[in-house]
Amino acid sequence: MSGLADQLILATGGYDHTIKIWQANSGICKQTLPHTDSQVNALCIAPDKRHLAAAGHQHIRMYDLTSATTNPVTNYEGISKNVTAVGFAEHGQWMYTGSEDNTARIWDIRTKTFQCSRIFQVGASVNAVCLLPNQTEMIVGDQSGVIHVWDVRTDRNEQLIPETGASVQSVAVDRDARMMTAINNKGYCYVWNLTCVPGEPAKLKPKARIPAHAPSYGVHCTISPDTQLMASCSSDSTCKVWDTEDFQLIHEFRHELHRWVWNSAFTADSKYIFTGSSDHTARLWNLETGHMEREYSGHQKAVTAIALSDVQNVATVPAS
Amino acid sequence: MALYDNKHYLLSHIRNSFITSDDSGMCEVVMTCDNLARQVPVGKYDCYPNVLEEEEEDAILAHSFDLSSDLQFGLRRPKGRMERTSSVAEKKKAPKMKNIKWSLPARPLTSEELDVFFPMYDIETVRRENLGKRVSLLTELLTKYPNLPENPFKDYAKLDGNAQVGVPIKKYRIYVTMLPEEIQKFPMEVSIVSSAKVSDLIGLICWKCSTEFSDVTLKDDVDAYRLFIAEDDGDVDWDFPCLDSREVINKFGFSHLAVVDRESASHVPEESYPLVIETKPRHPVEPTSARAQLQREEDIKKFRGQMNALEAPLYQSFSVHIVNKFRVKTEIYLEISGEKLEIVPVIQPHFSSARMLSVKLWGRQRVETYSMDDVVACELTEHKSNGRSIFMLVHWKVKRDRNECETGKFKTKDFESETSVAVEIVNKVNHILECRHSSRRQEYITLRERKSHRRKAFLSPR
Repeated sequence: MSGLADQLILATGGYDHTIKIWQANSGICKQTLPHTDSQVNALCIAPDKRHLAAAGHQHIRMYDLTSATTNPVTNYEGISKNVTAVGFAEHGQWMYTGSEDNTARIWDIRTKTFQCSRIFQVGASVNAVCLLPNQTEMIVGDQSGVIHVWDVRTDRNEQLIPETGASVQSVAVDRDARMMTAINNKGYCYVWNLTCVPGEPAKLKPKARIPAHAPSYGVHCTISPDTQLMASCSSDSTCKVWDTEDFQLIHEFRHELHRWVWNSAFTADSKYIFTGSSDHTARLWNLETGHMEREYSGHQKAVTAIALSDVQNVATVPAS
Repeated sequence: MALYDNKHYLLSHIRNSFITSDDSGMCEVVMTCDNLARQVPVGKYDCYPNVLEEEEEDAILAHSFDLSSDLQFGLRRPKGRMERTSSVAEKKKAPKMKNIKWSLPARPLTSEELDVFFPMYDIETVRRENLGKRVSLLTELLTKYPNLPENPFKDYAKLDGNAQVGVPIKKYRIYVTMLPEEIQKFPMEVSIVSSAKVSDLIGLICWKCSTEFSDVTLKDDVDAYRLFIAEDDGDVDWDFPCLDSREVINKFGFSHLAVVDRESASHVPEESYPLVIETKPRHPVEPTSARAQLQREEDIKKFRGQMNALEAPLYQSFSVHIVNKFRVKTEIYLEISGEKLEIVPVIQPHFSSARMLSVKLWGRQRVETYSMDDVVACELTEHKSNGRSIFMLVHWKVKRDRNECETGKFKTKDFESETSVAVEIVNKVNHILECRHSSRRQEYITLRERKSHRRKAFLSPR
């Protein structure tokens, strides 16, 4: 029982300079980690389920979730501006970030000599980064509206511009590498069909353009693990869930207190979704009934980042 | 014996002093040549003992002649008890934050290394594996416990000082008397934002109890509990009234507190406010003739006296000053009922410096409780010019001697208050004493009579 509970990690971070670790099923805050001097822009749980990376202003901090101390164990620095995105490669050898200094970076987290560090320079501040499940290509979305597909092995890159002059706020790829989505500051969601063939760059075929929240600001988008659903969050105080077949609206989650909805995360079985919003609260919604199931309150300011890990460890052994 | 003209001694001394005082850890790099002391030819008489025998590398420090091989040389602090106890806490904190600065690799990766660091995953394999990952631990838990009971103390969780950064907080060690005895002895560490009220602290404690000890049933309301001052060993200090739940927690400087169920604490006076029973005088119909009026006044006087006797056993609290033998006055509540008499000190949240001094000098006034059977006399002793009076209370104080036998003696306490209050108290106590026939009182009366006889006998001319 306790072993199970430990593998279920829900972390939220926000403008109150703290990261909270929750007991996801009861809504009790288990731990509050101080994230000194900076808001939390993004959170990601490492594949070892032991470390949590938090992206903030000018640094990425790594916390050890198993240790008794609440202070970060490692501080990665050297970025002059906000770090807006953070994630890990499945094999746990490196971590990737996107930042407002117009770069996407790969950080060697295993060796001290930065053997596998990489940097990718773009023309505008990077708002979103995600890694394709083949672990070698990254999607980088920037403020000028360009989406870059960067091959980390070869440094080869391609660009696509879904809408000129609209800042790309968030990009997401599903775990099966079938689909990619992006949301921009005009509230439009774009969807591509994704084909990954070994040895060739990923092919993207435009599939849909949804006026998801237009004209409100689009903030975040994500695809469910079973590829059936897609969620978009916006400044219009809603989180909308779409069918990825016909792009019909399935749910519109709105709470009377909701303000900007900053982030969302699907559970591994695509049955529930977490949202974090400016009303200092994270919420859990049932995707079958559309009802709110749990509330996670305790933050003193907006909840801007959510990280969830709810898959059993046995299943996450990387492919050899 | 080493002398300063001994080459070996000097060389060795310099070498070891250098090693021990080096705190950069780089001394080996600088000291390129071998131990000079060993290279100096050894004469027949000037050999310093052991110079030649030591070969091992790790003997460098042990080899020092007069210096202790303490690497913390110059930084040594006395290892007091404090440090030793805190070292456990330090060990917990031990993993200090590592700072890693961004840098790029010195050389491009070879293709083998590329395969090591950037292995390309086969999408088909990933998809197959993903099928096995579509079970959520959260869903499992949610279906297991679908209806979470609402915790009545949920809202208090936000006040937890550990959950906030950059807010002033206060830390307490709380003894929770509702817990089973074996856990009760260990205080619960609670930190709370300092702007919270006493009732909020009770709520937060209840919240922590309900999350940490799920088998303990708590009442759903913070009003069911009271916060008392506790000793650091967990004993509740019943001598003090509980903290007023409406007060801001910041006001109280106690580090150890105890949460007590209100019902089990009911023998302790509720908060430190005097209970004043007021009787409103009715407006009587004005009598017509002077004689009738006189008669009426007489009646009322008699009636009053009887009423006082009847009301005497009712609980009443008076605010008076207790006067100790050094004539220092302390404000207290004198609580009198038919059964007992209590002296309760007035808790003042802010001590004046003069009061602090008096507390230091004479000790804090403790709560004292006497059974009315032990109270033997009460009388006015002095009327002051400022409208205040001093009255005296005599009670039997029980003492236990070495053989656990009860002995005791009569003790006198002096109180000062406004004359009207003093008269009221004296009347009340005497009414109660008249109603009760205690052996102690009889004993006291006979003792006093005997004393006065003796005095008379002494004074009378022979």
